[in-house]
Amino acid sequence: MRERLDHAAVDELGAAFALGALDADEARAVAEHLATCPEPHAELRSLLGAQDVLPMSLDPGTPSPRLRDRLMATVGRTRQEHERGGAPVGQQPEPEGDRGGRRGWFDWLSPQVARPLAVAALVAVLAVAGWNVVLQGQLAERDRALHAVASAISGGQTAFRVEGSAGRGYVVDTPGSGAALVIADLAALPANRIYELWLLDAAGTPVAVGTFAPGSDAVAVVPVDRDLAGYATFAVTVEPSRLDAPTGTIVMQGHLSAS
Amino acid sequence: MTDPQPNDDTLLAQRIRSGDRDALGELYDRYASVALATAIRVVADREQAEDLVHDAFVAVWQKIDRFDPMRGSLRAWLLTIVRNRSIDRLRGAHPSMAIDDADDQALIRSSANPTWEAAIARRSAAELRGAIDTLPPEQRQAIELAYFAGNTYREIAVITNVPLGTANGRLRLALAKLRESLQWTDAAPAVEPASAPGAER
Repeated sequence: MRERLDHAAVDELGAAFALGALDADEARAVAEHLATCPEPHAELRSLLGAQDVLPMSLDPGTPSPRLRDRLMATVGRTRQEHERGGAPVGQQPEPEGDRGGRRGWFDWLSPQVARPLAVAALVAVLAVAGWNVVLQGQLAERDRALHAVASAISGGQTAFRVEGSAGRGYVVDTPGSGAALVIADLAALPANRIYELWLLDAAGTPVAVGTFAPGSDAVAVVPVDRDLAGYATFAVTVEPSRLDAPTGTIVMQGHLSAS
Repeated sequence: MTDPQPNDDTLLAQRIRSGDRDALGELYDRYASVALATAIRVVADREQAEDLVHDAFVAVWQKIDRFDPMRGSLRAWLLTIVRNRSIDRLRGAHPSMAIDDADDQALIRSSANPTWEAAIARRSAAELRGAIDTLPPEQRQAIELAYFAGNTYREIAVITNVPLGTANGRLRLALAKLRESLQWTDAAPAVEPASAPGAER
């Protein structure tokens, strides 16, 4: 339950409010107070807008040329609130983003997320995964895979993003436990095809790492029993069987360097 | 810095509200670079940052009815949305606030304020950065942990191992000092910051 704040408490939290440094309840309480309070709260209001100094102090970025086109395409098929009768505050659907590709639960993850979590979950997943095993069906297992990656990343382990037409995921390198490729939204394959994972050195010479196939939950965990040192990139191809050299098209790839 | 006049943004907001997609394109041309810089600073991943910038501009398009140009800055609203979404992505499964709530509060937090508007309009990024760099390290760290890392002042207290009052006080002092430093040539509201118990100067 949210407490009502008095004038002094609201003023006390003014800078944190301006900087977005209040938790949800406190921020809501301050916002509600400001919306209805007859007092001027001059000190607090003098701080609103201060937060813009921080982004405006950054050297401007250079958006890729495609971003503007993508935005305008999305806007071209996205209605404004008044066109749909105006949704109540808090019930507005999220923007109908066209992010230029499939988006799944993995997109919540980045090498920077969830630092406070533990590494242990990755070990747990690897322990049950085994070579060439695909986790099947169960939401719990999917969550465990998610936790595994998040935990490994948050624990300071190295994670390399992998993506392509067949899915998105990470190669997570855990010293002492080896590496693993964890992929979400893995695309289905014809019955006579499998995915094969390759490590490539700087010269582009591939080394076969293992094969895997999508399960019903489209989440795959593939242990990588190889030291990643000395390799520059990794790739996934579609093959008729486990091969020593790739013959198929690369459907996912990533670089073994920090993004 | 060649910052456009505020009334330019007001006109842009009116055109966006009327459904003028070209106006959103102009808004993009005006602020995409700083929006991207903000998102990259938070999530440290260019691809994700571009997605977040895209989503923020779409949110402006969708929610423009909620924006009142008489009460707030369109640039500030946009950048707050970019920052909120970036923090939301950074925090993953542990957002401090639902994104719609954050967007709505962005309207309040982006209230037009002559002090900050003038400071931003008249100074380059390097000059603004210089003003931030003059803050005592613990105050600079506090505002960067808040704005760019998305930490609440309670989390900042834990991270920096100081009492809550000190963490909150550092934020207050940082903004007060920043205002003081930026009002060298700009008019600023004559408001003395209230004392911040537990905070060092």
